[in-house]
Amino acid sequence: MTGAEPVVLFQLGPRILAARAGGVERIGNPREEGASRLLAESCLGRPWVPLRSLIVLSEAGLEAGLCVDRVLGVRSVDAADLLPLPPLAAGALSTAAVAGLVMLDGAPTPLVDLPTLIREQQQAAARDARSTDA
Amino acid sequence: MRERRRTRARAPVAGRRDGLAEAGPILEVLSAMAEGNLDVARLDPERFRDPALREIAAALGRAAERVQADGTEANLRLSAVTQGVDEAIDSLVKMMVKGDLSGGLRLAVSDAALAPLIAGLGQVMETLKRFVLEAREAGLRLSSSASQLLAAATQNESSTTQQAGAVHETTATMEELQGASKQIADNAHTVSTIAEGTLGATRQGEGAIRAFLGAMEKVRHNAVEVDDAIARLSRRVERIGTVVEVIDEIADRSDLLALNAALEGAKAGEAGRGFSIVAAEMRRLAENVLESTKEIKNLIAEIREATHAAKDASDGNKRMAGEGEQLGTVAMGSVASILEGAEQTASAARVIHLATQQQRTATEQVVQSMAEVEEATRQAQAGSRQATGAAAELARLAERLAELVRRFRVE
Repeated sequence: MTGAEPVVLFQLGPRILAARAGGVERIGNPREEGASRLLAESCLGRPWVPLRSLIVLSEAGLEAGLCVDRVLGVRSVDAADLLPLPPLAAGALSTAAVAGLVMLDGAPTPLVDLPTLIREQQQAAARDARSTDA
Repeated sequence: MRERRRTRARAPVAGRRDGLAEAGPILEVLSAMAEGNLDVARLDPERFRDPALREIAAALGRAAERVQADGTEANLRLSAVTQGVDEAIDSLVKMMVKGDLSGGLRLAVSDAALAPLIAGLGQVMETLKRFVLEAREAGLRLSSSASQLLAAATQNESSTTQQAGAVHETTATMEELQGASKQIADNAHTVSTIAEGTLGATRQGEGAIRAFLGAMEKVRHNAVEVDDAIARLSRRVERIGTVVEVIDEIADRSDLLALNAALEGAKAGEAGRGFSIVAAEMRRLAENVLESTKEIKNLIAEIREATHAAKDASDGNKRMAGEGEQLGTVAMGSVASILEGAEQTASAARVIHLATQQQRTATEQVVQSMAEVEEATRQAQAGSRQATGAAAELARLAERLAELVRRFRVE
């Protein structure tokens, strides 16, 4: 893997996370988005003040988003700084939404796969809804 | 005597008639008779040749005898009268010396020429008797009156002495009263001065409370104005907040746009590099704006807090001004009562001061009058003593007079 890779850095609660810019359709304002399309809470936690939303497109071409506290910016990182999760850590996680780590200024930052995260959360919500209906 | 003078006057004429030698003896006899020598007047008529001279000599002899006889008789009578007068005077002197006027005047010699003298002396005796009787009666009356006068003078002296003592005590008391009156007048003056000072201070207090009430009203009025100003300020602040919200919203949108622009630029790769730079710059501006609006919001929040605090303070000022006005009104009522009392006190103190001044003046006049009365009483006392002495002397003199009058026996 060579070249530069743009990532979107955002804050979710107390954490700084990163996501591939190519997976982000746009950055929105949660107040202006439909609440049903946004995840206010996920396995990554809950934002203190949801000021921004990261919108992605599903496989069906529908927009969905994740509420975050704020978007810190878009940075280009070297591909060598994008690291996969250690196998032990990957096995320990119950989600596939954490795709790896990105080294920013020498510090590892979790790299989030937003489409996967949203899909897992939607699926989980659907299961919960079905179990509730049952 | 007239004849003798005539004889003496004719003697020189006889001398000048020396030519009548024969008539010379007759002239000598006549001259001797004129000299009072009757013994030589014996002429023998026969010795004259001239008949006329003989008749003259005879007549001369008879005249001489007659004159000699008359002289002898006159001498006898004169002796008797002189004896009678001497006896009367002696008798009168003896009666006077003895003081015995009871008897009459009796003389051994009885001559008609002594009758007027005896009658006069009898009248004198009667007059003396009457005088003695009247003097005795007057002496008795005088003695009685002198005794009464002495008693009255003694009583008067005693009364005057008592009066002098009483006047002296009264004068001393009035002098003490004068001192007390002066002290009272001084105290009344002090009280009047203090009352006037209290009145002045109370009036100043009344003025101060009026000023305080005015200040309280102004404070309340200012508090209302401050309240209005705070309300206007709050509205302006709210307006500013709204504007800041709009700015914040715009900045947020700008930030969002910049983020999306940066996202798109990054997606475009090298082609979107410049776009990303512009987007980053826009985002930095938007963040600056957001930072500024955040600071403005903080300032607005501080202003709101300060405004609320000012509003609370203004409400407190209004409330305290209202309470101050109420307290000032109550104090004004109290001071009005105090002022009324102070005015009455000052007026009463002035009246008391005036009265005590008059009392002091009157007391001084009384003291002065009492001093004059005391002096007059002292003089009266001295006069009374002199009157008592004079009355005593008069009584002694009356007694002496009575004693002297008693020496004359008239009955």
